[in-house]
Amino acid sequence: MASEEVLRADAVVIGSGAGGAPVAARLAEAGLDVVVLEAGERFSSADFTGRAGNLLPRLMRASVAADSGMEVYAGRGLGGSTLVNDALCWRPPPDVLAGWREEHGLGGLTEAAFAPFVDAVWRDVHAAPTGPENLNRNARQLALGAARLGWAGEAMPRNVRGCANLGLCNLGCPTNAKQSMLLTYLPRAKNAGARIRTGVRAERVETAAGAVRSVRARGPAGRLRVEAPLVCLAAGVLETPALLLRSGLETGVGRDLQLHSSLHVTARFPEPVHGYYGPTMAYAVSEFSDVNGRSGPGFMIENVSTAPVTTAGALPGFGPEHARMMGLLPHLARSLVVLRDRTRGRVDLDGDGEARIHYEPVAEDLARLRLGLAAIARAYFAAGASEVWLPVNGMAPLTGEADLATVDDVPLDPRAFSLLYAVHLFGGASMSGRGDGFCDEAGRARGVQGLHVVDASSLPGNTGVNPQVTIMANALRIADAVLAARGATA
Amino acid sequence: MTRPEPTAALERALAPMHRRAFLRGVAAASAAGLVPLGCRDPELGPPADRSLRVLSPRAYATLNAAAARLLGPPAEVLIQTRRVDPAARADDWLGETPALGAVLGQGLLALELGVWPLLPKLRPFTTLAGPAQDAVLASCMGSRLDLKRDLFKGVKSVAALAFYGEPASHRAIGYPGPFGTARDVAAAMAWSPDP
Repeated sequence: MASEEVLRADAVVIGSGAGGAPVAARLAEAGLDVVVLEAGERFSSADFTGRAGNLLPRLMRASVAADSGMEVYAGRGLGGSTLVNDALCWRPPPDVLAGWREEHGLGGLTEAAFAPFVDAVWRDVHAAPTGPENLNRNARQLALGAARLGWAGEAMPRNVRGCANLGLCNLGCPTNAKQSMLLTYLPRAKNAGARIRTGVRAERVETAAGAVRSVRARGPAGRLRVEAPLVCLAAGVLETPALLLRSGLETGVGRDLQLHSSLHVTARFPEPVHGYYGPTMAYAVSEFSDVNGRSGPGFMIENVSTAPVTTAGALPGFGPEHARMMGLLPHLARSLVVLRDRTRGRVDLDGDGEARIHYEPVAEDLARLRLGLAAIARAYFAAGASEVWLPVNGMAPLTGEADLATVDDVPLDPRAFSLLYAVHLFGGASMSGRGDGFCDEAGRARGVQGLHVVDASSLPGNTGVNPQVTIMANALRIADAVLAARGATA
Repeated sequence: MTRPEPTAALERALAPMHRRAFLRGVAAASAAGLVPLGCRDPELGPPADRSLRVLSPRAYATLNAAAARLLGPPAEVLIQTRRVDPAARADDWLGETPALGAVLGQGLLALELGVWPLLPKLRPFTTLAGPAQDAVLASCMGSRLDLKRDLFKGVKSVAALAFYGEPASHRAIGYPGPFGTARDVAAAMAWSPDP
């Protein structure tokens, strides 16, 4: 029988991204002996060579909902999705928090209660406004179109320091400008004594007599068991529910998965855009949002990099037309619809015990995505684009505003799109104040003492904005609740 | 250091193909002699000195043949002259996760050996002329069958990632590479106020 390494700690944190890293830092700095288990690799800036073909396999993981073809992406590696995200920072929208209070009985999730944690995150990850020196021509084309149409929009704050505008945010930042977990909370956790293990995948949480006992995992050196009275789950919105299900903890797990569905629109401009350099994302049109006091149909429009690999995968069609589009790369600008979905999906296990996603976008969401496509096309034409490609296989490019009417012909079929995907995931082990969620308002699992959900799995719905700050702030809030409870029982 | 996983796009490509019954059916049909076997294009198969980790020589050639048609004329030249070899890159990735490699292999087998009425052809994909290959790909792209559309998207995603991830492909699309010169970056950031 193979030997098993056994560690003992005060707390185990599973996952090291926007949920796990802040919790690990907070608990370790409070004096707890913390072990962090991360399934992915440990990277440094020297590893971030910009070679998409080498890096994407190691930095990202994809899943597909077989029922719709919806593609779901998550970062992997020490630091989680913060390694590959676009560094965009939004405070939790007050109206989203209000919805969580009203619909899920989470009365404590007020803007005032969140504010200290949001402020701490803002400071800790060096979030700051994006100035004109970091708005590339790609962002400016979207901003110009929006301005000419009288639409609301803004440069998005980002957590960067000394950004060199290389356009490599999604492949890890080679200059350490992006203040990911790798550069912020994880060093703090380590300096406070946390033991961080990479390449270690948690397989089960073990409980006994209504309390958590240990985590069983597998790593490069074989089996590992970490015994601890406190387990914080932050493995991501697919893996956290999967881990719970593998552990036999099923009540309230896997349901109410929500996404921000996304579609890309690509436009050709007469002048070069060079949209592959500069921040991968920086400008948002908020005109159509339904958060932060707006009452639109519920989507944001954000510019996005034209790096070749991601651009090619999202363009419609194939063959000579594909080659023609890619041959225009220096002249292309791109933006995406970020929809605040109303669809609810779920996560369960496949026959091998791995996470499986079910997500069939409701017609209303598909219709709102179509509105988003039309809005982006309109903005690009207003900015002077000569051609616009929607992500619809078989659809000819739009060549002017007169063609916008054809957007109504886009079928409400998720598989009609060349790429329908999401990188913002929520729920699956969510909080509820009404006893019907997996955990309570403090992230405590119901019926299992010492088990907490601290990542976006615990959020009861989507945020309508890029969520990393909300996830980190919620994690800190839960960590403080954990510490307060320990103090009360010590 | 842990083992690298296949690329996100690769996993994306493979996940829909997990409905293996469809693919197994095609494979079984070919094994039963229902599909005429032809000679694959040796130009697109693996080099003689290359040992494959996951893909079969036929799947390797099919992926390169499909990539050449999917990505258009400049890619076709680069692939046929071996300056970019998408299947080699894919085989490297898949070597780390053989199970996924098996799924992609089945998908490529379906594309290679599937015949009418599943696909508009009676011969292996790699033996068809370019326009006939295009017709097959178009039938997948526009199909009412989810699995055919998933196959199209999956193979295109793998092809695009494997091709455009290689520096040799960049010149054809005017991409200076991931680390632009200061002048390149400045050109991307320059902006005159809206007149």
